[in-house]
Amino acid sequence: MKALLTIAWRNIGRHPARSGVLLAAIAVGLWAGTVSTGAINALMQQRMTYLIESEIAHVQVHHSHFPQEFRGADGVPEYQAIETWLANDGRVRAFASRAIAEGMLQSPIRVSGANIRGVDPEAERRTTIFHESMTEGEYLDSDVRQAAIVGGPLASDHHIEIGDRIVLTFENASGELTAAAFHVTGFFESASTEYDRRTVFVRAGDLAGLLADQPIRHEIAVLLEDETQAVALAADLNRSFPDTLARTWRELSPELNMLVELGDVMLFIVTLIIMAALAFGILNTMLMALFERMREIGMLMAIGMSRRRVFGMILLESTLLTALGATVGMVLAWGTIRHLGKSGLHLDQFAAGAAHLGWDSTIYPFLTTAEYASILAVVIAITLLASCYPAWKAIRIRPLEAGRDL
Amino acid sequence: MSLVQTDNLCKTYHPETVPVHALRDVSLTIERGEFTSIVGPSGSGKTTLLNMLGGLDLPTSGVVRVDGIDLGGMRDGQRIAFRLRNIGFVFQHFNLIPVFTARENVAFVMLLQNRCKSDMLRRTDALLDAVGLSDRKDARPRELSGGQQQRVAVARALASEPKFILADEPTANLDSESAMNLLDIMERMNRDQQATFVFSTHDPRVIERALRVVTMVDGAVVKDERHGDE
Ligand SMILES: Nc1ncnc2c1ncn2[C@@H]1O[C@H](COP(=O)(O)OP(=O)(O)OP(=O)(O)O)[C@@H](O)[C@H]1O
Ligand SMILES: [Mg+2]
Repeated sequence: MKALLTIAWRNIGRHPARSGVLLAAIAVGLWAGTVSTGAINALMQQRMTYLIESEIAHVQVHHSHFPQEFRGADGVPEYQAIETWLANDGRVRAFASRAIAEGMLQSPIRVSGANIRGVDPEAERRTTIFHESMTEGEYLDSDVRQAAIVGGPLASDHHIEIGDRIVLTFENASGELTAAAFHVTGFFESASTEYDRRTVFVRAGDLAGLLADQPIRHEIAVLLEDETQAVALAADLNRSFPDTLARTWRELSPELNMLVELGDVMLFIVTLIIMAALAFGILNTMLMALFERMREIGMLMAIGMSRRRVFGMILLESTLLTALGATVGMVLAWGTIRHLGKSGLHLDQFAAGAAHLGWDSTIYPFLTTAEYASILAVVIAITLLASCYPAWKAIRIRPLEAGRDL
Repeated sequence: MSLVQTDNLCKTYHPETVPVHALRDVSLTIERGEFTSIVGPSGSGKTTLLNMLGGLDLPTSGVVRVDGIDLGGMRDGQRIAFRLRNIGFVFQHFNLIPVFTARENVAFVMLLQNRCKSDMLRRTDALLDAVGLSDRKDARPRELSGGQQQRVAVARALASEPKFILADEPTANLDSESAMNLLDIMERMNRDQQATFVFSTHDPRVIERALRVVTMVDGAVVKDERHGDE
């Protein structure tokens, strides 16, 4: 009913300061909540993309024992057949096979644990962007024999310089301790200092030769044309090669899964805060307004305004007020996210710590349409819920209030 | 059948603790077209009686019938709808919706009745003209004097074409000129449109102009006189 809308609208204008404060609070709260959700999204996405692009890729194939226990002898069975299979599958953009050993790195000054990864530089370049992490020296596709690249922090712990020799010690496939010397040709720095402190890359052929007599690979990382096909491809691989285990990036990286879940939890918390603030603001303002208008509402019911209409009038007023604030907040948030999505949000002040954990210092906030919609839906739901109480209070006002003397 | 009829109306506030007998066995009938004032000292039960007649409150015992219909036999919601269709109200204060203009205030009650728009506009204008507010139709209540506000309230009460109009001390807040002016309007509406008025008052000059004066003391009707031009 148009007249109810008119009353509601003009009642909002009755206390411009009070309405303004609620409006601003809703707008600012929603803006902050939405933008921080966008930022959280960006952090998650960045981390996910980085891990996928730099190492995990979309699907990985291992020996079926691999997830429980890593043993040097457990290479991927028939790995060459799998490589042929992958080379002939249209969904696959590139793949890289890796030999892996857990062992130690020994330099003239100290010994420390090392995760030794043997990679095929050319295949790796096509599959991951790890080569972009080189900070000094050359990647493994140089012509230096027995070349190795080490993480920057590991190198400085050991005072290693380019051209130095290091000795890598590890168990071979038959369980015997093997040691071999490698020449350091470069340093890398990935997004994770932890990772850099314990990882050494060598050529797959060099490592495999030391591990076993037959060619051996422990891991095949597969990059797809389209990420959404990961589940289907992994299933196909598992069917075709029963002794191996193919898993998607979601299954592979508990960290990523945790990240996705963390993102959801953060969204939930942000929403909860917005909800609580919104509900409180509406309740406070509307109850105050109601208290002032007891006689007026009593008069309306005395002259014959039905409860349904009184209820609607109050509901309309708070909905209108929230809708205004929410619109302003959402438009601001949308604009901010669009802007930051292009120009990036610089987290320089936190970057020192962030880099340690594998974050880039610039993030690009974004929000999916579904997320915008769900925030909006929550706001609408809470507004209606929070407005019901004052509206219910209003219809319990007795018409007698109108007749009562001052 | 009388327009309004009460039988042994009693109202006791706080019956459990300190009982206040605001109405004692009030039996009264109001006929169509009457111009009745309820008078009596403060606390004699005038407001209480008007509230009962208007279905704003329910008696402790006794019955109020409007056109033979028992107001006590309705549910709250039905009583609201009944008031909308049958009774007009003029209160001492807080008659009008502050955010509405005079015109909107008068039209609103017809809007609640779901009247057709053209009818509504015509009637609103005619009523505001009749109460002498032709040039203040778009003013909000706070831009009107107390007397003008009460005149809008009378126009609003008449707008819904009620069977009768209840007015609790409609002139109490007005200076004597405005009070007489309001009474002129009420009288004219009573004469020209056969509008039935029941109003309470303290004011001797107002009492003088009533055609019927019901005097209350301590919640009971002690005198019921008709005078004047009948
Ligand atoms: N809500 C209430 N609760 C308790 N007692 C009430 C209530 N309303 C009225 N009374 C009492 O009932 C009696 C009649 O009150 P009422 O308001 O009807 O008198 P009145 O004739 O209208 O007086 P006035 O001329 O001062 O307006 C008074 O004693 C009053 O104190
Ligand atoms: Mg009174």
